[in-house]
Order: sequence, then structure tokens, then C-alpha cells
Amino acid sequence: MTAQTSVDFRVSDGLRSDLGRWRTRALIVGVIGMLAMAAGLLVFHQPFQFYQSYLWAFLFVLGLAVGPLAWLMLQYLTGGAWGVVIRRPAEAAARTLPLVLVLFLPIIIGIPNLYPWAHPAVVAADRVLTHQAPYLNYRFFLLRALVYFFGWMFLSYYFNRWSLVEDRDGPAKAHGKMSFLAGPGVIFWSLSVTFMSIDWVLSLHSQWFSTMFGLLFMVGQGLTSMAFLIALLVALQARAPMSQVLTKRHFHDLGKLMFALTMVWAYFSYSQFLIIWTGNLPEEIPWYLSRTNGGWGYIAMGLVLFHFALPFSLLLSRDLKRNAKLLRNVAIFVLFMRMVDLFWQVTPYFYGSAFHLSWMDIAAPAGLIGIWLAYFFIQLEKRPLMPLHEPNLEEALNHGRE
Amino acid sequence: MAEEQNVVMERPEPHEIIAPGYTFSSITDQIASVVQTKRTPPFWFLGFGLGLALLGVFAISTTLLFILGPGIWGLRTPVMWGFAITNFVWWIGIGHAGTLISAILLLLNQKWRNSINRFAEAMTLFAVACAGMFPILHLGRPWLAFWLFPYPDTMGIEPNFRSPLVWDVFAVSTYATISAVFWFVGLIPDLATLRDRAGNKIARVIYGLLAMGWRGSAKHWSVYETASLLLAGLATPLVLSVHTVVSFDFTVAIVPGWHSTFFPPYFVAGAIYSGFAMVLVLAIPLRSVYGLEGLITDKHLDNCGKVMLATGLIVAYAYILEAFTGWYSGNIFEAAAIHHRMTGPYMSSYWSLVACNIIAPQLLWFKRIRNTPALLFLSSMVVLCGMWLERFVIIVSSLAQDFVTSSWGIFHATRWDWGVFLGTIGLFLTLFFLFIRGLPMISIFEVRTLLPHAKVDKEVAE
Repeated sequence: MTAQTSVDFRVSDGLRSDLGRWRTRALIVGVIGMLAMAAGLLVFHQPFQFYQSYLWAFLFVLGLAVGPLAWLMLQYLTGGAWGVVIRRPAEAAARTLPLVLVLFLPIIIGIPNLYPWAHPAVVAADRVLTHQAPYLNYRFFLLRALVYFFGWMFLSYYFNRWSLVEDRDGPAKAHGKMSFLAGPGVIFWSLSVTFMSIDWVLSLHSQWFSTMFGLLFMVGQGLTSMAFLIALLVALQARAPMSQVLTKRHFHDLGKLMFALTMVWAYFSYSQFLIIWTGNLPEEIPWYLSRTNGGWGYIAMGLVLFHFALPFSLLLSRDLKRNAKLLRNVAIFVLFMRMVDLFWQVTPYFYGSAFHLSWMDIAAPAGLIGIWLAYFFIQLEKRPLMPLHEPNLEEALNHGRE
Repeated sequence: MAEEQNVVMERPEPHEIIAPGYTFSSITDQIASVVQTKRTPPFWFLGFGLGLALLGVFAISTTLLFILGPGIWGLRTPVMWGFAITNFVWWIGIGHAGTLISAILLLLNQKWRNSINRFAEAMTLFAVACAGMFPILHLGRPWLAFWLFPYPDTMGIEPNFRSPLVWDVFAVSTYATISAVFWFVGLIPDLATLRDRAGNKIARVIYGLLAMGWRGSAKHWSVYETASLLLAGLATPLVLSVHTVVSFDFTVAIVPGWHSTFFPPYFVAGAIYSGFAMVLVLAIPLRSVYGLEGLITDKHLDNCGKVMLATGLIVAYAYILEAFTGWYSGNIFEAAAIHHRMTGPYMSSYWSLVACNIIAPQLLWFKRIRNTPALLFLSSMVVLCGMWLERFVIIVSSLAQDFVTSSWGIFHATRWDWGVFLGTIGLFLTLFFLFIRGLPMISIFEVRTLLPHAKVDKEVAE
């Protein structure tokens, strides 16, 4: 029962050089991906494909940056030791939001290539689109995007600022400040992610609507960010300071959360599917028809097997959750399946049931994730890897060491 | 799991959960003396009497129902699901909080559950009993209720497995079974305590039989721990699955206002919402009458209030999205369904439920409200009314005004609708007051693990 309060939580020199190496690699991949994307747009003149691939890859990166906000706020709401070890990586991920805003600009430019509501002639010919026009139009769409980004960036700024104050002056004032905003923050997060999913994905087609859609995106972001944080922690564990902090018990806790979210994702997806499938209504069923027929049927089956069944069976095991290396492998696999899920959701909007995979569907995630990761590592380096005066710090350090 | 238990013991929480100054024997004394006493407080007679009186109403209403048929209710085409299904959904939802507290919070190592899990589980059991009445009463020929099960009959008739109503039969009967077993297994060590303390012979024999030979040996405890974790694991999916299946009763139909994909989690959240309200409605008077404020502390009430606030916000999210979808989808029937709810014949119910479920509970943001038992009691009552209204509005308003204007019709509840509903409240109260008189309403041995002394041995063993 020795509390290791004497650990120096600053990034060690060994880790700094590791981070530098990872950053360079990520940057190389990112730049190559981005150059390839630029070539697709400018040299090969495939603007439609460019924006289609960009959109789903962007949604994945958005989950990496916005999802951690929810984990931060949940931790302030519920307390406990599980969230202390992911606090700094989550804060760093939230600090990448300005970059994510920049990465959003191509989508604004691509609105006419992506969304049917951007074309007055199409809108005029479509009863539903005409009806939706007060909501789906350039000005209001941009205004909402601005509100989402402003809100997320404000939450990121707020929690990072008070976290810094807490490091400097102790938790007396800062922790109360953070707990205070966590409740309203979670409400904003839920509503913004819901309406974001409606704006950026659902409005790709005028007819289909599902009230579960926003919830699925929330779970998706939660799962993406948790899998990412687990994979990151395992990588950080190799060097000081995290090598002296992390225990099997931490991974066990985080693994349980990933396990729970895998089940919630399956529960939400299956409920949505069952309800629409039995209803079999002409305005609802086409969404699933195009995603379960043609080549997409195999992807849908793959999602059932590899987004749910496989991680579910693996994560049932207590030993696996306590084995950092294995847990990391599962987490990386889950991240891959998250991309497949987004790809499967978005692409059939444009191609119906005909399976379609372009080389840009590989270049876009490589470019966006590479650039994002490089920026993330810069942010991660800036602060000590554990909050210095977190009230639960002692508990978190003793977690699994008794 | 042994290692995990150690970890839990190290946490500083226990000091806050129950009031300081308790010892192993004072906890046992306090809880057991509620049962093992010659003096029954007037409060008990009052509650039990009220329960019995309402149970009488139940007897009269159902007797009449069996003689005359469901026509004595306000059920007329097109509204063939009136109070009965509303009450079914409401009662079964109330049960969910008990399962959440006993199973999910056990798996999550939330130690504060230990003071409230026993009576919350009893609440679950009795709420499921009340809920189970309604589909059977609603059958018209309740003596043929066994037709719901796929038994091997000579006619080769089987229930329609594609109907969620059949899934309900399995979901609810599984739920009732697991809840009863879980509750009883959790009672065994306490029954043994009561057996050992019982003054008279009859009580000793009864508690002794129920305690199934429990001697408190290390072997017994080890088997017990495994059994309760396994049962918790089995009960956890039931928290989600039962109300999910109940929500399928509606969503699988394509009736506007019912066919909404997020109903499953929304129903589950609503269930937990009303369930925690019921936990508070029971806990607040009980602890003040029996002087249990040291065991069911303000911290417990505060936590329950927070859970209510959180689930209430999920329900609010659902209302917002429901209204938005009604407009956004551009589907005239969906839009009409929402429009009818807000401005039609059920608008008073709709706006009352919005006031009860969304607006009033916002007061729970304030710590002062959560820490004032009387106000918390009041807001819990408001939530219980709100959740009942919610089920009523969903079920009745969608049926009353569906696709074709010529088939519209308004539901008017008769006195027998109310009679059966109030009657099940009587059944619930009767069972619950019998429970608190005959069995320990708080788990004695689990509360004892919250004491600071309970962890001494572990530390010495290190």
C-alpha cells in the first residue's frame, strides 16, 4: 500500500523521443494521404469521390477529438479512479479541435457535391426536401456547424484551462469548476452530436429518418475514443512516467467500458434494424435494402461478426482485459471496425446497393488520421501525463497495487 | 474475483455511506428489531390498511370484470389498449430500478446500493406481480392465459412467435423468475440471522426452514458470493431486455407515434426513471418512521435523485427528438400524431406529462432539493404521475387518431378502469407492508460490510 506520489509525471526524455518518432511517422502518412487526396481532386478531377471519402474519414477523426470530451465530463460527474489515467490524453485529444475545424472546411466547400438540399432545383422537385428547407439550407447548416464547433471548443478550452489551474493551485477551486460544467456539458455534447449526425450524415438523403441515429453516433464516438485511448495508453506504458502508473487493473476498467460500449452499439444497431425491418415501410426500408444487398451485404455481415461478435467474445475474458498487449490489439481492431461502420453507413447514400470502394477511401482516412495524430502527439507532450492534484489521484495510483 | 473485492475494501467511500458510530451488532439490532418486535407502529397499520382497502377495490373490480368482460372498461374501437396496457408498462418499468440497484450496481462495485437493494428488489417483485395481472385481465378470457405458452397441445396450435406480445410472455416470466430467485438468495444469510435471534419457536422454525440450513461457514459464503455474482450477471441484461421487448410491442406496429427506432433505450430510461422515483417514495417515509436515517442516509437520497435527474434528461431528449422527427421526416402521419398529442383531445395529458417529467425534475439540479427529503418525495410522486401519463399518452393518443379520420375515436376511462388500477396499487402496498413486517427490509450482512471494521482483517492479511 505505498502511494507513489513521488513519481514525476512529466514526459520523460525516452518518451519524448518516442513521441517525436511517432509524430514524424504519422505526419509522413498524413502528408502522403493528403497529397493523394489533393491529386484525386485536382489531377484526376474526381470531386464527388473526393468529398464522399473525405466525409466518412472526417467523421471518424471527429470521434477521436469530440468523444474524449464525453469521457472527461463523465469522469467529473461520477468520480472514481478509472478516468484519472485517461484524463490527460483525453484533454490533449480535445485540444486538437481547432485542427478538426480546419479539416472541416473541405466539407463546407463540398456541400453541393454531397447534399441534395444544396440544389434549389432538386429541392423544388422534392416534396420532403421543400418541407425540410427551413432546416436544411446553407445558412442554417453553417450556423449549426459553427455552434457545434464553438461549443466543443469551449468545453475543450474550459476543461483544459481549469485542469492547468488544478495542476498549479490544487483542486480546491478548479475541480468544483470542472464538475459544475460537466452536467450541462454532457447535455450539450449529446444534443450537438445528435444534430451533427442529422446534419452531416442523415441529410445526405431526404427521405430516411431514424430517431436512433443520434444515439448510434454518440455510442460510436464513445467507442472510437475509448479504443483509441486504450491503444494509446498501452503505447505510453513502455516508458516513464506511465510505466510507473498503469496497472492491470486500469486496463481492466477501461476494457470493461469498451466491452460495455460494444454491447450498447450492438443493442442500438439491432433495435434500429429490427424495428425498420419488421415495419417494412417504403420510406424506411430502402436504407437497409441498399446496405444489406449487393456487396454491402457482406460488409453488414462483417459488422455483425467483427464489430460485435468477435470483440464481444474476446472482451468477455477477464484475462484478456488485464493483458495490455492483447487489449491493445482488440482496441485497434475495434478502431478499424469503427471505420468500416462509418464507411458502410455513408457510402451507400451515393451508390445504393452497388458496392463501391475507391482508392480515395484509403487515402482519405490515412491523410486525416495521420495529420490528426501528429498534431495530437504535439498536444500530448505539452503537459504532465497525469493530473498532479486530482482528488482521486492517490486512489488511481493505488488502483490494482494493493 | 477475490482480488477485486480487496480493491473495493480499500476505497475510502464506506465512511460516507452510512452514519458513523455503527457496529456490527447495532446494525443487526436495528434492522432485525423492525421485524422482531411485538410493537407494530401505527404507520404500518395505516399503510397496510390502505393497501387492504384498495385490494378490496381490486377484488370487486376484477370480479365484475370476469363476470361481464372487458367491456366494463372504456375500451372501444379503435382504442383497444387503454388503461390495462398503460398500467402494465408503468408497473413493469417501476420494477427496473430494483434490478438495476441489485444487479448492475453490484457488478459496478457501487457500495451505496447495500442499504437499499433489499427493499428495492422486493419492490421489483411486487411491481412485476402487479404488471403481470394486466395482460391476463386484458385477455377477456383470463382462464385461457396458458394459451400464451407454446405448450404441446393436440390441436397443434402455437403462439405467433413473430409477435412481440409473445416475446413479452417470455421476457416478463424470465424477469419475474430471476428477480424472485435473486431476492431469495440474497435473503438467506439474513433469514439465518432472524432464525438465530427469534424468540418464539414458530418464528424460529419458519425462518429456519427459509434459511435452508445456512450456518455462515466460509464454504457457504464462498458459494453464496459466486451465486450472487452469477445471478447479477443473469439479471443485468434483463434490465435492458424486458423494457426493450415491451417497447417492441409498440415499435413493431407501424402506427404513427409508435414506430420510432429509439423506443427501446427510451423505454428503458423511462423505466429506471419511474423506478427510482418509486424507490424514493418508499424509502423516505420508511427511514423516518423506523429511524433508519443512519443506514439510508441523505447520501443515498442524493444519489437516487441524481439517477432520476439523469434518466429524466434522457427522457427529455426523447421528447425533443420525437417532436423534431415528427416535423423533419416530412411524413404527414408522423407529423399529425405529434400534432394531435400536443393540441388534440389528449393535450392536457401531454402537457401535464411534459410538466411532470421534464420541467419539474429540473429542480433536482439543486443539491438543496435533493437533500430535503420532503421535496424529494414530492418530486418522486410527480415523476411517477408523469411516467404514467407518458405511457397513457403514447398508447391511447396514437390509437385514438391513426391514419383514417373516419376511424377515430376517443377513449373514456370508466370507474372500473380506475378500480383495477387503484386495486393493483393496493396489491402492491399490501405485499410491501407484509414484507417489511416479516422480513428485514435492509440487507443486514451487506450493510455490515460497509463498516470501517469490516476491512481490518483484509489489511492485516496483506
